[in-house]
Amino acid sequence: MHRMRVAACLALLAAMAGARPANAGALEEGAERYRPYLIEGVGSALAGARALQERAAAADLPGAKKAWLSARAGWERSEVFTAGFVPELDAQIDAWPNADSGFHAIEAKLFGAGSTDVAADAAALVDHLNDLHGKLRDIRLTSQGLLDGTVRLAYEVGESKADGGESRISGTSLDDMRNNIAGIDFAYHTIFSSALNTVDGKLDEMVSNRIERLQAIVATPDLPHVDIADLRRTSEELVVALQGASAKLGLQRPTLEAQAR
Amino acid sequence: MNSLRLRLTALACGAMAVALLGRAVAFPVDGNKTVLPATTELNEDALDKPREVFRSEITGSKSYLVNLGDLAFNSPGLLGEVARQAGVSCGTCHVNGANNAKFFMPKMSSRPGTFDTTGPLFNPKADNLVLDPVRIPSLRGARYLAPYGADGRFASLRDFVHNVITNEFAGPEPSPATLDAIVAYIQDIDFLPNQDLGPGGRLVGKISESERRGEALFAKPFPHDAAMSCAGCHVPSSGFVDHQQHDVGSGGLFKTPTLRNADFNAPYFHDGRFDNFKQVIDYFDRTFELGLSAQDKLDLVAYLTAVGDGAQPYERDGASATLKEINDFSTVLATAIPAGDKDIVALAVDTIGRELRELTEQYPDRKNTSVSGGEQQRVVARNSLKELVLTLRRIDMAVAAGRNADAATEFRNYRYLMAAAVPAVLASAEPWSLFNQDVHDQHYAALRQVMQSKHLPH
Repeated sequence: MHRMRVAACLALLAAMAGARPANAGALEEGAERYRPYLIEGVGSALAGARALQERAAAADLPGAKKAWLSARAGWERSEVFTAGFVPELDAQIDAWPNADSGFHAIEAKLFGAGSTDVAADAAALVDHLNDLHGKLRDIRLTSQGLLDGTVRLAYEVGESKADGGESRISGTSLDDMRNNIAGIDFAYHTIFSSALNTVDGKLDEMVSNRIERLQAIVATPDLPHVDIADLRRTSEELVVALQGASAKLGLQRPTLEAQAR
Repeated sequence: MNSLRLRLTALACGAMAVALLGRAVAFPVDGNKTVLPATTELNEDALDKPREVFRSEITGSKSYLVNLGDLAFNSPGLLGEVARQAGVSCGTCHVNGANNAKFFMPKMSSRPGTFDTTGPLFNPKADNLVLDPVRIPSLRGARYLAPYGADGRFASLRDFVHNVITNEFAGPEPSPATLDAIVAYIQDIDFLPNQDLGPGGRLVGKISESERRGEALFAKPFPHDAAMSCAGCHVPSSGFVDHQQHDVGSGGLFKTPTLRNADFNAPYFHDGRFDNFKQVIDYFDRTFELGLSAQDKLDLVAYLTAVGDGAQPYERDGASATLKEINDFSTVLATAIPAGDKDIVALAVDTIGRELRELTEQYPDRKNTSVSGGEQQRVVARNSLKELVLTLRRIDMAVAAGRNADAATEFRNYRYLMAAAVPAVLASAEPWSLFNQDVHDQHYAALRQVMQSKHLPH
């Protein structure tokens, strides 16, 4: 009996292992194609953070705010990667509500208190981003990690924004969402779409359709006009579709939280 | 210490506890990108929630209709666009069927616990251009309390609910079945039991002298009009109401409110102008020249407090209380899935999913600086709740596509998880959740500090 169970497990493992190489090559190539986008996104966040440091040192509040927004946009576009690969750094850089460093600590000072006294925080942000940027050329990008990140971010996009959302002091929560969705769109179409299309064209179509719908939902003049119920439903439908895609692609089912596997 | 003093002390302590709690944790909606006015207080973070007693649960269990009504009552989707966007449902103001005494919305409230049903925010077409809020009533015992509305203009609860949805909140026309369900739910919300109230609304058991004197004063004819007395309108044998509207000099005709469970229904009067029974009694004494002595007033307060009492008015919020409510809501799916009822399934998935997403936020993620420790437990709790949300979404997608059997399989899985695994996972993460008072206070204090930075002079 025991031997039979072991044999069954081995057979299952062999089947799973057999499923992987079918798409593995295409997916890993896709993950490589994602790398320049990632480097560009984090690079733009880093450039923004450096500009922020400089403008803050010059006590230029409008300039510092503008630089913060630019740094933020690059970071949010890269969140598919950060949520999947460097969750500790993500937690540090995006900490809230009582953050002593990172984007939201600086946001509270610039947009809340109207102060440019952010030298230490901006320096820490530059260090973190610079360190990450330096590693991106060599970091191993797996399609599993990028699918995990895509799914986590797709779920997060559907979270309630009734209280003003993640960046409620700067009022840029809607931009955060748009950049998140742009990141999801790019990751999906660069890495997964064509591989999925060869095994299940309809599912590929469904994922693309949900991403397009999300883009349409956030194409409003402001956050109060985003149809929150539709946003949530569509985000969940996208996650369901991507979870279904993982099996078709020979990948593990993504978990909704880092470290939950 | 006699029972009156005990009761008053308990009430005072309760009021103080609520007041202190309020100061410590109240957290208003803020940010300038929301549909609600900044500094709106929904009191959603309160850890003590009014206890809800269902009439049908005294002898059996709640019906499908009552559970569906409860679900719809707590669904923003039932109301108009502004409410939907803000996540506001009937249950926002009537928490567990009771009143939300801390609710405050600039432009719509004159003071906490009031709401302008003809204000500008939710339905501009119904705006009468006057700030004339009414107090948010408790719905406990509503089936005994016709007519409905502060001015009692609706004889039927069904008509009243219809007006709230379509007129006050600009919601779409509800289906007759939904209206029936909401009415069934409201009619099932019972008064909290009060062991001191006997047949005919008389005080029974260990009654203090002061309460006894108050009871006599309550029934005593007014000096200047022997046809009138307190009990003439607040008829003890009739739930302390007479089903009539009266002008007591407060600005128009308003229906007689019940005194049952009134200890927990402050503020008082149609516009919520009074904080406590003493102010109410002073008002009647002045207006109707009752000539009450200081002792008379104390006795009347004692009597009202005894009549207005109720067992266990609040219960502590936690994962188990939330899961119980979610499980009650989920029973609707057990009927709606086999029937392939797409609309009800969509309503249930939307409402339950929303509750589950809110519950997820009780377990702070790794980005949250208010709590350290229990990270793995929090991760597992969040992950399992998110998986439930997605299971519900798969049910909705399957029923919408006519795949009822797939939906039934998913629902079995959902129920299996909700029976044991999810409660266990949440219980193990509870010490690091916002259900823990210390974590809760730390989180909201930090959030408040951040939001206040917005309002500092630049």
